[in-house]
Amino acid sequence: MFKGYLCLVLHGHLPFVRHPEFEDFLEEDWLYEAITETYVPLISVFEGLVNDGIDFRLTMTLSPTLISMLGDPLLQERYLKHINRSIELAAKEMERTAWQPGFKDLARMYFNKFSHARDTFLKYDRNLVFAFKKFQDLGKLEIITCGATHGFFPLMDVCRASVRAQVKVAVSHYESVFGRKPGGIWLPECGFHPGHDEILKEAGIRYFFTDSHGVLHGSPRPKYGIFAPVYCKGTGVACFGRDLESSKQVWSSIEGYPGDYNYREFYRDIGFDLEYDYIKPYIHPDGVRINTGIKYYRITGPGNNKEPYVEQWARDRAASHAGNFMFNRQKQASYLNDLMGKPPIIVSPYDAELFGHWWYEGPMWLDFLFRKIACDQDEIRLITPSEYLLENPRNQVITPSLSSWGYKGYSEMWLQGSNDWIYRHLHMASQRMTELVKIFPRADGLRKRALNQALRELLLAQSSDWGFILGTGTHTSYAIRRTKEHLLRFTRLYEEIKSNSIDEGWLADIEYKDNIFSEIDYRVHQ
Amino acid sequence: MKIFQKVKEKIKKLIPAGFTFKRKKKPQSAKIPGTRPDKEMPGFQETVVADAKFSHPEPARSARFIQEELPYQYDQDKIVLQVRDPRWVHTYWELRNLTLESLKSRLGDDFHRARKVLRVYDVTNIIFNGSNANSFFDIQINDFANSWYIDTGKPGCSFCVDLGFMLPDGRFITIVRSNVVQTPLEGPSWITDEEWMIPDDLFARLYGMGFGLGRSSPVGKAWQERIKQGLFSSGISSSPVRRAVKERSFWMKVDCELIVYGATEPSAAVTVQGKPVNLRPDGTFTLRFWLPDGKQHIPVKAVSGDKLEERTITPIVNRETK
Repeated sequence: MFKGYLCLVLHGHLPFVRHPEFEDFLEEDWLYEAITETYVPLISVFEGLVNDGIDFRLTMTLSPTLISMLGDPLLQERYLKHINRSIELAAKEMERTAWQPGFKDLARMYFNKFSHARDTFLKYDRNLVFAFKKFQDLGKLEIITCGATHGFFPLMDVCRASVRAQVKVAVSHYESVFGRKPGGIWLPECGFHPGHDEILKEAGIRYFFTDSHGVLHGSPRPKYGIFAPVYCKGTGVACFGRDLESSKQVWSSIEGYPGDYNYREFYRDIGFDLEYDYIKPYIHPDGVRINTGIKYYRITGPGNNKEPYVEQWARDRAASHAGNFMFNRQKQASYLNDLMGKPPIIVSPYDAELFGHWWYEGPMWLDFLFRKIACDQDEIRLITPSEYLLENPRNQVITPSLSSWGYKGYSEMWLQGSNDWIYRHLHMASQRMTELVKIFPRADGLRKRALNQALRELLLAQSSDWGFILGTGTHTSYAIRRTKEHLLRFTRLYEEIKSNSIDEGWLADIEYKDNIFSEIDYRVHQ
Repeated sequence: MKIFQKVKEKIKKLIPAGFTFKRKKKPQSAKIPGTRPDKEMPGFQETVVADAKFSHPEPARSARFIQEELPYQYDQDKIVLQVRDPRWVHTYWELRNLTLESLKSRLGDDFHRARKVLRVYDVTNIIFNGSNANSFFDIQINDFANSWYIDTGKPGCSFCVDLGFMLPDGRFITIVRSNVVQTPLEGPSWITDEEWMIPDDLFARLYGMGFGLGRSSPVGKAWQERIKQGLFSSGISSSPVRRAVKERSFWMKVDCELIVYGATEPSAAVTVQGKPVNLRPDGTFTLRFWLPDGKQHIPVKAVSGDKLEERTITPIVNRETK
């Protein structure tokens, strides 16, 4: 008997990294790895489910920066080169491990996986957004939007014009790609600041998500806790709170599934393990060892000793973890149903890149889970937020609390000793952008181009990813560089626009480098 | 409210005996508060996973990236306040030289004896006019600081900050005033919607479930600790992401690989251990194997393009690991 709803959400995002000015750029690999390890495997899961007639529902963010990169011809060309190299390496590995039976099978596994990634990539005309769109059009997937460049909204509250620009640019970009308006938004880092729902409402967005305490600590007290959405006071935008119990089962590497000893070890890659001359053609041209994506070991145990990965064992674990997850949700739903007197909704959001990239077996687990939910039980039903709101339009009205899903639950990840210096400059740039829009409400020609580019530079500087990387304290030079670079470009544009001395050659150069959002309209920043 | 007391007690019980939350005071005047990365903190795992997206070593390429610097400040009088969490707010500011000069001429000698102060006003539920704050406190700052973290200790309250001078006679002069911010609540709201009234015990159970205290959920310890301990002990803020420090264990790893290479007529067909091998255009070939212990026979056979001639050479390799 039906007891409650389960709303799975995958948040797919990568910052905009695209460097046409360099032949080979290490940070672009973030995208290539995610394509091979996360996006293609997810698409394959969806394809398999549809082919087998298994009904499923999944809500998924594709951030505007991610959509832009997936659709970019230069990055597509470079991905093809990247995956061809990976296939070549896997082929060599099959040869090298000929006398090493366990490893030989694994080398073949990677060879097949990489070849399949290339086939899938080519099948969708090199743009995987088409694949996701296909499943949205089939009614299985609900694709939601995100901040244009994933700016962390709570720390942009002193310049709400920028929050508005982040939302409006994202919404119009979504419309141009999917031919319809987005129903919902994933607030970057799940960061909500009271009042920002007004901006969402203006943009026609009907729902968003917060972390558990965003709803639980809202005011007035939410009657059903996080197991029913609430409407924001004054705007009626719906807010769904995250369920921590189901989150933790998947996220946690200690007590969660991904830490199972039979699963693949993320940190042992042949890019670091094999003899230097052999691996050199497949690592960074500067000679720095990097991940190749070929990883032969299972987690094995808490120590440093690692044993070879056994595909079948991992597969069995993924199936049993999927069964366990479903069982727990059934129990949870049935318990909550008794308590609430109505079906609860359990909202379980995850980083999409957790699946496949960090947790290699994640897509497989998801596949098992969808199949089991469809075939093995009738207590929980998968649902998207839009469908839920249609079926359950009456909800409580509250003001959700400031919150994020970052470390410690608020803004500290992005506001600490190592990254707090950026806000002085980011806020100043926002203020100046607003000033420019006021001075030039109807620019055209060269000035309009410069104003549009100024907004692109501002948005790119605002990505929460830079603050995040600075906060973690590792590999910070790229994040510093990007923050400064976009701010400096913005400042120069601001000065040139105001003094009517726009350097067209330079403008064309940065338009070519930072080519995101070709249809941007600077006037949204107000 | 009784019910919440109960929930809190329940939370207390769930925290392992002997568990102490270290409130380490760093000796140096750390103005950035924070805690050691704590795996049980909400958001810890999200942080690790997100960081894995960016897991690459940095290539040495500084030469390619010589960059201009951002300005130190922007020639304006400004102070900005932002919320970090339910108890802490952050502020940054800048003052024009012109402003300081005019203060100097206005205050005369007092200027040099004045102390720079942040005055933090509690302006909860009022429209602040400069003199009607619920309460305020002062923080003395030095001339070099241009930002500060402030422990308000008050979740769910509104604040405003003045940057100003405290004169020797006790007068306070405001130079710039910040925006108003509101800290979030640290627990559930005490306001219950009348139309949607819900018995406290029911909500407490829901609340407990949300934090993983229900009977089907042993998880959520992070939250319990959070509620119990308060988030914010002092110390140097550091990365939650760096992987757990490896236990001290010396290690070494040795492996053997075997390279078999040769050359023949480019048109010949070559097999190694019975498997065909691709020749390079010049007729050379290279194979590389992971080498197990024991004896390996590796027959390499070449058959001429017209299939009339053949040669076989068989290296025998013995690996013995002690």
